[in-house]
Amino acid sequence: MNFEITPTSPTPIYRQIVEQVRRLVASRKLGPGDELPSVRAVALHYAINPMTVSKAYSLLETEGLLVRKRGIGMAVADAHPESTQQDKFALLRPALMSAAQITRQLGISDSEAQTLFKSCLNEYPKEKKDDKR
Amino acid sequence: MTNDNPIIETSRLSMRYEYATVLNDISLSVPRGAVVGLVGRNGAGKSTLLRCLVGLEEPSQGSAQLFNCPSLDLTDAVRERLGYVAQTPDLFEWMEVTEHLRTIGQAYPRWNEERCMVLAARMNLPIGRTVKNLSGGDKQKLAVVLALAHDPDLLLLDEPVSNLDPITRREFMRALFLDRASEEERGANKERTIIISSHLLTDLERVVSHVAFMRDGRLQLFDAWDSLLEHLRLVPQPTIDVPRAALVCKNPRDAQCVIDTRLAPEYADAGRILSLDELFEELNA
Repeated sequence: MNFEITPTSPTPIYRQIVEQVRRLVASRKLGPGDELPSVRAVALHYAINPMTVSKAYSLLETEGLLVRKRGIGMAVADAHPESTQQDKFALLRPALMSAAQITRQLGISDSEAQTLFKSCLNEYPKEKKDDKR
Repeated sequence: MTNDNPIIETSRLSMRYEYATVLNDISLSVPRGAVVGLVGRNGAGKSTLLRCLVGLEEPSQGSAQLFNCPSLDLTDAVRERLGYVAQTPDLFEWMEVTEHLRTIGQAYPRWNEERCMVLAARMNLPIGRTVKNLSGGDKQKLAVVLALAHDPDLLLLDEPVSNLDPITRREFMRALFLDRASEEERGANKERTIIISSHLLTDLERVVSHVAFMRDGRLQLFDAWDSLLEHLRLVPQPTIDVPRAALVCKNPRDAQCVIDTRLAPEYADAGRILSLDELFEELNA
C-alpha cells in the first residue's frame, strides 16, 4: 500500500499519514489485522525521517486504530467498529469547510463551486471495490 | 525522543572578529534524535556555529558541548561518534576514492567497509577515480560518505547537498537514516542526532524534526517543525494587539506579522499557515 505524502504541504507529514490511515480504515480498504508498511519502509520510500512515521503510527496506536504486533510491526486493530457514514462525513468535513472558506473569500458562487467540485471528483479515478492494496 | 541530556548544547556562544560579530549570544539545546535544519541567509553565521560545535574555532565568549564534552576539548570517544562535513571539505586530492575511504576508515573502530561501499554505490560515487579528478558534486558525495561510513551518533553537515542533483539529494536524505530506522523501530535508544545547514528548504522539509533560524549571528527561532507548521500563522494586518511574546516577526515593508498562536489563541484561525520557504522570507524581511 502507498501513502500519498507531499512534504511541501502545509499539513505536517505525520498528520498526512495519520489522516490517510484513518481514511483507509474508514473506507475498509484496510481491515482488522491488515499490516501497515514498516516505519523503515515508509521512511526510505519517501526519503523522510523515520521518527515522523513513528510519531504517526504511535498516535494511531493511542487512538486505538492500530495495534503493535511483536515481530510484525503495526496492524489495524481487531475491535474496530465499522465506520458509519457519519464517521466518514466527519473525516471529509474539515477539508470541505476550508474549501468553503476559500470559495467565500474568492466570491465564487455556490453553484460554480459545486460544479467545480464535481469536475474534481471526475478527474480523480474511482478505486475498484476489491482493490485492497 | 528522550528527555535525557541534550546532545548539542551551547551557552551564550559569541564570536567576534575585529570587523564583525559573527555569532551573537547563541544558546541552543538539541535533544537526542533531533534532526535540526539550520537555515539563514549567507553570512548569518551557520558555518561558524557548526565550526564552533566541532571545536574548529574558539568562541570569543560562551561555550559549546557535544555529548556533555566541551567542544574545544573533545575526547577520542566523542570524536569517534561524530561525522562532520565542512562546507569546503578537505580531501586527499592525490588518492583514489577507495583508498581515501579506507585511509579515513582506519581511524574509526566502528567503520565498516561494506556499509561504506553500499553507501558509495547508492550515492553513485565513482570509486575508481582519483580525488582531484572528481567533479564538485562527486567531491561532496565523497565527503558525505566519509562522514557517514563509521555510523556516527551525531552528524554535523554544512551545506552537504548544495552541489548534488535532486536524485542524489534524495538518496542522501535516505542515507542519513540508513542502518538506524530498524533500530529505532525496535525501540533501541540509539537515534542519530543531526544538524544540517542548507538553503534547499524543500529537501529539509522532508527530514527535519526541528528548525533553527539564524539571522545576523543570532538564533532567531528554534522549535519543532511540526509545531511551527501547526501554530504559526501569517496575518496581514493584525487588528487586535498581539502579545509581544506571540509576535514571531513583523515585516517592516507591509506590516504582515507571523504570530505564534500558542501564545495568542485568538489568532488561531486568522490569516494562514506558512511554508518553510515563506517563514524563511518573513524572518529575513
